[in-house]
Amino acid sequence: MALRRVYLDHSATTPVDRRVVEAMLPYLTEKFGNASSVHFFGQEARAAVDRARREVASMVGARPNEVVFLSGGTEANNLAIRGVAEASENYGRHIITSEIEHSSVRGICDALEKKGWKITRLPVYDDGIVRIEDVRASVRPDTVLITVMLANNEIGTIQPIAEIGSLVRKEREKGNRHLRFHTDAVQAAGRMHVDVESLGCDMLSLSAHKLYAPKGAGALFLRRGVRLVAQNVGGHQERERRAGTESVAGIVAFGAAARIAGEELDERVAHVRALRNRFEAGVAARIEDVVFNGNRERRLPHLSNISFRYIEGEGLLINLDLQGVAVSTGSACSSGSLEPSPVIRAIGRDDELARGSIRFSFGKDNSVEDVDYVLEVLPRAVANLRRLSPLYQKATQARACESETV
Amino acid sequence: MPYSSIFKDHLANPRNVGELADASAVAEETNPVCGDRLRLSLRLRDGRIEAARFLAYGCAPTLACGSALAEMIEGMKIEEALRLTRQDIARALDGLPARKQHAAALAIETLQAAIKAEFRGQNSE
Repeated sequence: MALRRVYLDHSATTPVDRRVVEAMLPYLTEKFGNASSVHFFGQEARAAVDRARREVASMVGARPNEVVFLSGGTEANNLAIRGVAEASENYGRHIITSEIEHSSVRGICDALEKKGWKITRLPVYDDGIVRIEDVRASVRPDTVLITVMLANNEIGTIQPIAEIGSLVRKEREKGNRHLRFHTDAVQAAGRMHVDVESLGCDMLSLSAHKLYAPKGAGALFLRRGVRLVAQNVGGHQERERRAGTESVAGIVAFGAAARIAGEELDERVAHVRALRNRFEAGVAARIEDVVFNGNRERRLPHLSNISFRYIEGEGLLINLDLQGVAVSTGSACSSGSLEPSPVIRAIGRDDELARGSIRFSFGKDNSVEDVDYVLEVLPRAVANLRRLSPLYQKATQARACESETV
Repeated sequence: MPYSSIFKDHLANPRNVGELADASAVAEETNPVCGDRLRLSLRLRDGRIEAARFLAYGCAPTLACGSALAEMIEGMKIEEALRLTRQDIARALDGLPARKQHAAALAIETLQAAIKAEFRGQNSE
């Protein structure tokens, strides 16, 4: 019998929806034009890009001309943060961000810090959520940018973006005219309602491949009137904000995926939430010494992050993979760094819990049977690894001693 | 993942797991950089490793190297075991990624520490 494969890593990437594939295919073959060309082929491609722009804009409540297409979430974050930093440095060199941003935002802020920028990294406490009072207390006259993600990629916690948005509006009214607000919505889009007006952000990053479209396309919502310095120059595309021939098929796919995500949002949210809740209830009932990471209410519906005490995430990941289950881990070993997940550390977990953290992220094509299969395989895999863990042996011996003395 | 099928088999079915009740040599070593741990208990008799059991905490290579080591040394002459190198461990796993060689080094260190502890008579931990 073939091994059952269960993909629970939708926060890493999603499969491309068949309907999305169908929408994009003609733009790889007969409708192959360069959207900058004046002739028929070019205009056909241009019309498709414009349609996609309307579809993506509509998903987040933006105007079409506020959408800049680019290669993905990392590029969107680079354009937003570096672009605003370069445009605003005469007004101030202070940026406020959080301790749990995606590595792209973290990396950009670290790089700016080396160039002399001041960076305030807001704590997220043990529930993985930034506090609005901390944001308020961190704003200075020279603050030009606040960048806080809408929802975290490892633990799914949803940040108070609308509150920060209204704080930013008030700060601007008070005279801090150059303060801009960016949010990375790569994980959030398609998994919760996203509306740039109610969030009050100036910029918002999106990625296609988290929405059942292919890798290689993304977008930055850039509010009308917000100035930034292009990071890709040498072409007129995207109104001079991102030079380079548009990936027309990728953009068409992104547009189709955004439209479908909008139409099916409620249904998808209900589906993945039910699977995730069934999964977590099963884990809590079957496995001892687990810690659920992040606020359990204010988080994305598709994601569960669990630390398994006494064991390391990479071994568990490989054991699950051998049984067909694909997940990801905050363990340093599998990411190639020495430090375990900064996100799990930021919520106050010790090294052992950070190393033992596993992210399970559900998708629209997962089924109840998938969850039940994982609930069968996972407790065994955890038990096998604990059996060889010296930490587990010590803990069980200590417990045995305690119960003897009682 | 760049791990071999033998490597993965050691993870799925680790050999010689546990702790010997009648061990004559025990060592537990920690990799100070990443915190990985390997614990080895041996029963040494007549110049041979009669039995070997391991416990390990840490990334996958540390677990696999512990399993490969414990399997390899059972029945081995002590002097032969002392000549093992981390390359021998890596070879038993069909190779290790370059960044993971430290796991094989930890296995060899733990083995040598256990045998030395026996000869110093400090094996009661």
